[in-house]
Amino acid sequence: MANDKSSMQLISRGILSENPIFKLALSMCPAVGISTTVMNGFMLGVAVLFVQVFSSVTISIFKNVIHPRIRIPTYTLTIATWVTVIDLVLAAYMPEAYAKMGIFVKLIVAFAIITMRLEMFACKESINDSFWDGVGMGLGFMVGMMAIGFVRELLGSGMILGIDVLGFKPLLFFILPCAGFFVVALMMAFFNWIEIFYKRTKGLK
Amino acid sequence: MKEIITIVFRLTVTCLLAATVMGLCFILTSNAKKYNEHAKEQKVMYELLGYKGDVKVPDSVAIHEVYRYVISGNDKQSIGYLLPQGHGEHEGFLFVNIDLNGKMIESKPVELSEADSFEAESRDAAVQNTVGAAFSIRFADRIIVVTDDGTRIAYLIGGKFQGFKTFVNVMLAVDPDFTMVGFEVLEHEEDPGLGAEIEQDYFKNQFKGKPFEAIKSIDVVKAPIPSDYLAALNGKVSEEEVLAFREKYKSRAIYALTGATISTRAVANGVKGIVTKFAYRINVLDKVLQEQQLAVSF
Repeated sequence: MANDKSSMQLISRGILSENPIFKLALSMCPAVGISTTVMNGFMLGVAVLFVQVFSSVTISIFKNVIHPRIRIPTYTLTIATWVTVIDLVLAAYMPEAYAKMGIFVKLIVAFAIITMRLEMFACKESINDSFWDGVGMGLGFMVGMMAIGFVRELLGSGMILGIDVLGFKPLLFFILPCAGFFVVALMMAFFNWIEIFYKRTKGLK
Repeated sequence: MKEIITIVFRLTVTCLLAATVMGLCFILTSNAKKYNEHAKEQKVMYELLGYKGDVKVPDSVAIHEVYRYVISGNDKQSIGYLLPQGHGEHEGFLFVNIDLNGKMIESKPVELSEADSFEAESRDAAVQNTVGAAFSIRFADRIIVVTDDGTRIAYLIGGKFQGFKTFVNVMLAVDPDFTMVGFEVLEHEEDPGLGAEIEQDYFKNQFKGKPFEAIKSIDVVKAPIPSDYLAALNGKVSEEEVLAFREKYKSRAIYALTGATISTRAVANGVKGIVTKFAYRINVLDKVLQEQQLAVSF
């Protein structure tokens, strides 16, 4: 495959160097509000991944016929359409999955990360690249959400994936919405620090 | 000017395209979706009554569906009930029209087969035929009366109320004294991790066993659930202990969910509203049925 290298690059860029939460600092509302457990983070990540990939590909296909003045409404409509379609299809054919995923899918419409990727990437690049960029960004978002969820679930309720690992609840504060800000900010600082440290040891910059 | 027209035209076309895709998807999936919702409702109904997993429903247990309609016409409103008179071979329906003061206006037999009564369209048509064209009818809700060998054991009441974001659709089970047997959230859009916790057992079980008096004045308290009570709510202790906790806490307030007090209040008030209204209605209906000596299947 000719695109093998670039597709891997696009995915790793979404997860690492341009992680939606820790690097681009987009879609912070769900990152703060929903990420109380690892499972919630994973669920929302899966939902975003699908909507991002479908929307990116759709916009990439129609990029030449979208009038530049109305591109933002078009993006919103595209995302809303995909969210509705996924919601309906899940409810109809996968009731088990819908019982768990339903509320997460319905949240998505106004997520900044999806609109931003459509604006920055999908409306300029080829269909293939847009697909991989969507996958990368979706995975990056999922990883970020799960990482925040991990910290908050462990420190807030002493559990990982609903399994009691500590046996006590260290700080209830971490489950509350305000703690989302602290965790996101501290983790952002942590990852930036790692990156700087890594670059210094490699002698870059 | 020309650009405005282009933009308007393109935006309209985009909207129409999106609408077409969503509409097509809705048409293609609506049947399967309805079927799933119905299947879920059936499952929830039996689970609320305590027939979980492999426990079989005894033959003596029967389910009677009562449909409530609001009848309006001549500047007046009244409440119409479509009541089953029997099942299987003895199937038949009775329509009882009761005015707002609890006096019966009329009662008429309805020509409707049991299979047709499950379909909203044919049921509405039959009720419309019965009341006559001068009145307009509106379906209000459905009550399910559960009997075991002829005596009532529970009522199942469906209901909707405003949650934190949109409507919360629930099904409640109460016993003949209107003590809460349990409730299940069928549909909601509360935030995951916060308001969505209303789905969790530890929250729902707080309502279990609350007598009618407690439901009427139900309150929400912002405090963490005591850990021993939480274990009982999660079913981690023996059956007797769960019952002991239920007895101890039966008249106390509901503990609010962490970070979701509004959702908790919405559920508590919603449950209160549904149960108190239902208790009033079923008492009125029973009184009328008794006074008029009308025979129904429950």
